[in-house]
Amino acid sequence: MAMPMDFKTYVDQACKAAEEFVNIYYETMDKRRQALTRLYLDKATLIWNGNVVTGLEALANFFDTLPSSEFQVNMLDCQPVHEQATQAQTTVLVVTSGTVKFDGNRQHYFNQSFLLTAQSTPNNTVWKIASDCFRFQDWASS
Amino acid sequence: MQENTQDGTPGSWFRVTIPCGIQYDRTWLMNSIQSHCSVPFTPVDFHFMHNGARFFVQEASTASALMDVSYKICDEESRKVCIPVFVSPSAAPYSVRDKLKPEEMEQLKLTLSKRFDVSQQALDLRRLRVDPDLLGHDIDIILNRRNCMAATLQIIKKNFPELLSLNLSSNKLYQLDGLSDIIQMAPTVKILNLSKNELKSAWELSKMQGLKLEELWLQGNPLCGTFPDRSTYVRAIRECFPKLLRLDGQELPSPVTVDVDTPCVLKPCKGSYFGCDELKSLVLQFLQQYYLIHDCGDRQGLVGAYHEQACFSLTIPFHPEDPAPSSLCKYFKDSRNMKKLTDPHLRVQLLKHTNRVIVHTLCVLPKTQHDFISFVVDTWSQTETMLCFSVSGVFKEVEGSSQDCVRAFTRTFIATPASYSSLCIVNDELFVRDASPSETQSVFSIPVPTPTSSSMHTLSQEQQDIMQASSTPPEVNL
Repeated sequence: MAMPMDFKTYVDQACKAAEEFVNIYYETMDKRRQALTRLYLDKATLIWNGNVVTGLEALANFFDTLPSSEFQVNMLDCQPVHEQATQAQTTVLVVTSGTVKFDGNRQHYFNQSFLLTAQSTPNNTVWKIASDCFRFQDWASS
Repeated sequence: MQENTQDGTPGSWFRVTIPCGIQYDRTWLMNSIQSHCSVPFTPVDFHFMHNGARFFVQEASTASALMDVSYKICDEESRKVCIPVFVSPSAAPYSVRDKLKPEEMEQLKLTLSKRFDVSQQALDLRRLRVDPDLLGHDIDIILNRRNCMAATLQIIKKNFPELLSLNLSSNKLYQLDGLSDIIQMAPTVKILNLSKNELKSAWELSKMQGLKLEELWLQGNPLCGTFPDRSTYVRAIRECFPKLLRLDGQELPSPVTVDVDTPCVLKPCKGSYFGCDELKSLVLQFLQQYYLIHDCGDRQGLVGAYHEQACFSLTIPFHPEDPAPSSLCKYFKDSRNMKKLTDPHLRVQLLKHTNRVIVHTLCVLPKTQHDFISFVVDTWSQTETMLCFSVSGVFKEVEGSSQDCVRAFTRTFIATPASYSSLCIVNDELFVRDASPSETQSVFSIPVPTPTSSSMHTLSQEQQDIMQASSTPPEVNL
């Protein structure tokens, strides 16, 4: 069990995790797509423009068929999730927004949110995606 | 034949013709000729005529070197067919003969600069001939003429090297020979408007082969009427520009790719996702009650909706070229966009902590009217102790200097069932941006119902049961 921390420390930890994670996530999505599922928990769920994708195998298939991408993030925010909701499993809410161009398609503005959970080993903390929600801002006219 | 002069005055011109040249890829053809030619040359006024390709060169030595290339290059497909190259003396090509004077070029450059939008990298050359600047200086720029188009392309290459969008509408263009050089002079162009000209055949477009267009406008040309139906028209245009995404303002369906390794088709987008009907009614009821108080009641009434130790933050987009957008000024000082905000101290400060601080912040934000019908909701995570959902939609600001401004938002709530039944918000993240024109137009198409409640409903026992039943085991006693 983690030592109880003060609020400021929770926030700092969340910000550090969020920033590092988001950089890795979009870089992997754009340049090493085949490695993307390593960032997800086994039972993770993705809601992509209203389509549900559950579990690593389904996620792998989904990312395989998704055209190559070019993401540009212009908004990032994060919050530590209250332990009452997470049952003491350290979790961070990460919210991003920006533009994405998928090969063969026009550019879209997008909004994305993640729940990252900490998997701690003695030496470091690895953050993985427990849930992911992605939507084009103009999904209705796509 | 005139002799070359030693003092550098231009020598004679020669016309080089490759019959059937139109069937070859222009780049391959010219590279092949160059590699077989003992003398480097610069082709001038390259164009296709009937089935042949033609260009001009200077100097007798170049001409004779090119004559030697004839029948030396073999057709890529059938090694037996050798390509003839015919060379003969000729008058100077149009672009040279009628070359614009330096002062005309200068004025043309000034005129084009006025028609250039740097933020869009777009050049609007509609009705260029009757531009008052040019008329006022007695300069006749008829884009149909080789010399005028060449001059224009030259100015583009030099002054707008990253040009993205070129509008040549309404210039009485009946052929596109002058655009043969567009690949060398303006290779970055992805949007081309040739509407309302006099182009009679789609074949004209093949003169620009190699240009990687994404958007093309052709309507208002005689060629549009030569196709029996739209799909034939689209297919013909796509043969010239395989990566085309939009034609005459309409999105084209994604091209079917044979290569399985490079997919281009996206999964179709769907509306709200709730997981099950019970969760749907739970979430929708929550949102209805929340926004009723938020829009019509005193926002102080929301304090009971939040956990004592809840967190809230607000963000607006960050564009480096417009770091303090005046339209979103009322949200600017609270924006915790970490792409812009790097000070760790401020990052803690701007995360509003505790229900009282949160509600105090909400009370100060502009008064709003949310368009419930516009909402799309994704319920994207749930456990027995947590429900996480994101709402996107639009709202109007209803008072003050920004009255009637339409904003779009995405708000992520993380809620937990608390003791004594309420759906209790522990995390709340709000992202606000300006609404797009189509979002603004569609807002409030259905009238908003009047408010009746002023505090958050408690969840019934049934709703609590639903929340527990919809989640994964093990169950927790509330």
